[in-house]
Amino acid sequence: MTTTTEQKTLPCIAVESLTGCAGELLVILDNLEQLLPFVRIVSFPFAQSKNECGPVDITFVEGSVSQPHDIEKLKRIRSNSRWLIAIGNCAVWGCVQAGACSRCHVEDMLHAVYGDESPIKALPARPLSDFVHVDAMLSGCPINATQFLSVTASLLKDHLPYITHKPVCLECKLRENPCVLIEKNLPCLGPVTAAGCGALCPSLGAACYGCWGPCQSPQMAAMATILQEKGYQLDEVLSRLQTFGAPDTLFARMKPDAEVA
Amino acid sequence: MMDHCFVLAKDSFAEFFESLSKLGRVYAPVKVSDQSYSFRQVESHEQIAFEALRTILPPKKYFYPTQETILRYNDVQIEEHKPEIDFQILFGVHPCDLAGLGIMDTIFTAGPADSHYLNRRQSSLIVGLSCMPDKHCFCQSMGTDCPESGYDLFLTDIGDDYLLEVRTAAGVKAVDPIMPLLRAAGQDDESRYKAFWSNRAQAFTNGFKPDNLRSVMAMEWDNKIWDEMADRCLSCGNCTPVCPTCYCFDLVDIASLNGTSGERRREWDSCQFVGFAQVAADYNFRPGPVDRLKFWYRHKLHGFDDPFGFQTCVGCGRCTVSCPAGIDDIVSVVQALQATNQAKTKHDAN
Ligand code: SF4
Ligand code: SF4
Ligand code: SF4
Ligand code: SF4
Repeated sequence: MTTTTEQKTLPCIAVESLTGCAGELLVILDNLEQLLPFVRIVSFPFAQSKNECGPVDITFVEGSVSQPHDIEKLKRIRSNSRWLIAIGNCAVWGCVQAGACSRCHVEDMLHAVYGDESPIKALPARPLSDFVHVDAMLSGCPINATQFLSVTASLLKDHLPYITHKPVCLECKLRENPCVLIEKNLPCLGPVTAAGCGALCPSLGAACYGCWGPCQSPQMAAMATILQEKGYQLDEVLSRLQTFGAPDTLFARMKPDAEVA
Repeated sequence: MMDHCFVLAKDSFAEFFESLSKLGRVYAPVKVSDQSYSFRQVESHEQIAFEALRTILPPKKYFYPTQETILRYNDVQIEEHKPEIDFQILFGVHPCDLAGLGIMDTIFTAGPADSHYLNRRQSSLIVGLSCMPDKHCFCQSMGTDCPESGYDLFLTDIGDDYLLEVRTAAGVKAVDPIMPLLRAAGQDDESRYKAFWSNRAQAFTNGFKPDNLRSVMAMEWDNKIWDEMADRCLSCGNCTPVCPTCYCFDLVDIASLNGTSGERRREWDSCQFVGFAQVAADYNFRPGPVDRLKFWYRHKLHGFDDPFGFQTCVGCGRCTVSCPAGIDDIVSVVQALQATNQAKTKHDAN
C-alpha cells in the first residue's frame, strides 16, 4: 500500500488480535472500502504485510488474553493508542475460552489438547479490561458491521460511541417474533444477552445461546429459575449461561460460594 | 333504528375487502405461529385471521414505528425528516386496541404534538371488529370493552352477517362504492346486534372490580407481592413494546464516517431496562427490577389518574401472554392487592 501525503493527515487506526477466531477481522475486512477514505491503516497484520508500530488514534483489538505474550502485546498497544476499543465477545468477555475456563481447569484442558509436552503456555482466558483500561467495548460474535462503522464514526469525531446494552428481547419484539421461550419452551437467553445481532436466532425460530455476552444488569437468577421451571437442570442452565464468558460475579445471587471479584 | 348502521352479508366480505384495498394498503391480523398473530399487510381477505384476539405488537406500530428517523444533519444545517406517509387501512382492530389508540392520541397530541404520529394517524382508516374474550381479556374491568370512538367503521359479527357501523366522514366515503352490497339495518338486525354484545358481556371470565383501583394502587405500594414478582422478573422488557399504550423511546444519533453528517433516530425503549433511569454520575433512580416493575404497574393502573383521569391499561392481556416469567398477570396482581387491602381496612375498622 503506498502512502500519499493526503493519507498521512488522516487519523491512524490499527486492528490487532490476541487469541480469537478472527471473526471480527473478517467483518472489518469486508467493510474496509467504507473506512479507507477516512482513515489510514497503520497496522492490520491479518490483512497487510507492512505494519508500523508508532502511535495510533484508534486501535481495535479482538481476541482474549489467553497466553502470557498476549498481556505484553496488549500493554504495548495500550501505551501506543489514544483510543483502545475491545471488539468481539473474546475481547469484551473472554468468549467460549473464558466460559470453558470458568467450568474446567486450564491445566486439564491444556493436557487434553496438547498432551504431556505442551508447546504453548496458557492462562485462564480473560477479557482485555482485566488488564488495561479499555475506552469502549463492542461485543458480538462476530461484531455487527453497522455497529462497528457507527462506533468508528463517533471515535473519529472524538465522541464516546453509543453501544446498546439492552437485551436481545427488545430487538426480538421489535421484529415481532413469536417468543420461542414461551411458545416452544426453548432455552432462549435473549432476556440476559446484549442486543446487537438483531435477534438473529429467535427470528429463525431458534433459542438465543448468548453469543453477544451479557446485557446490562442481566437477571441471571430469574433466568435460571424460569428455565428450571421449564424442565432444564440447573447445571445445564448454568453451563449455558456461562458458555460465552459471563463472569462469576453475575451469578453471585445464585452461587453464594462463587468468587466475587 | 340505529343511525348509520348497515348490514353486510359475510358472503359479500370479499367485495368489501376489494373495495377497501383500492384505498390503500390494508393491514390485518395474520397467524404467524401456533399461538401468535401479527398485523401484517394483506393482499387478499383470505389471509386475514378473523379469530385473532391479540397480535404480538398492537396497531400503534403503524403510527409510531418501532424505529424511525427524526432528523438529518450535516455541517451547515439540521433538517427535520418528513417521512412519506401513504394512506393505510387497519382492519380488524378490537375494542381494547381502539381504546389504546385513543390513549396514544391523547399522549401524542398533548403539546408539543408529535407530527409524525399525527400525520400517520390522519392518513389512516380504522376498521374495528367485534371479538369474544378469551381467558386473558379483561377490557371489561378497564371499561374499554365497548368502543365509542376511535374507528371509522366497525363490524359486529351477528351470525351470517356483519352489522356495519359508519362512524366518520372518512367511513362514509369508504363505504360509498359498496353501498349496493349493503342494506339498512332493520329490527331483526338490531336484536341480533344487541344479543351479540350482551352475550359478549357475559362471556368474560377474567377481571376484577375496578372501583377501588385508585386507592389500592396508592395504598399497596409496599405490598410484599412486588418483591416476590421482582425476584422472577427478567427485565427483558417484553411487557412494554407489546402494550398498546407504552410510548417510551430512545433517541440515538448515528454519525456518518465522513464526520459531517448523520441522523437522529428514535426507537422504542422500555422502562424495564436498567439503563432507562440511569442519569448523570451513574445515578439510577430505578436500579432494581422491583423498582421498575412497580413503576410500570403504577403507570398502567394509577399514574394517569391525575391529570388525565384514565388508566392506561386497556385490558388486552398482551403483557400477560408475552411475559416469559408469568408475572405480568395484571388481574391476579390487582386481586391480590385488593385482598390484602381489604384485610387491612377491616382490621383498621375493628
Ligand atoms: S424468543 Fe428469546 S429473545 Fe425473543 S422475546 Fe422470547 S426470550 Fe426474548
Ligand atoms: S440471538 Fe443470541 S446467540 Fe443468536 S446471534 Fe444473537 S446474541 Fe448470538
Ligand atoms: S398493561 Fe397489559 S393488559 Fe394492559 S393494555 Fe398494556 S399490555 Fe394490555
Ligand atoms: S415481560 Fe415479565 S419478565 Fe420481562 S420485564 Fe416485563 S415483567 Fe419482567
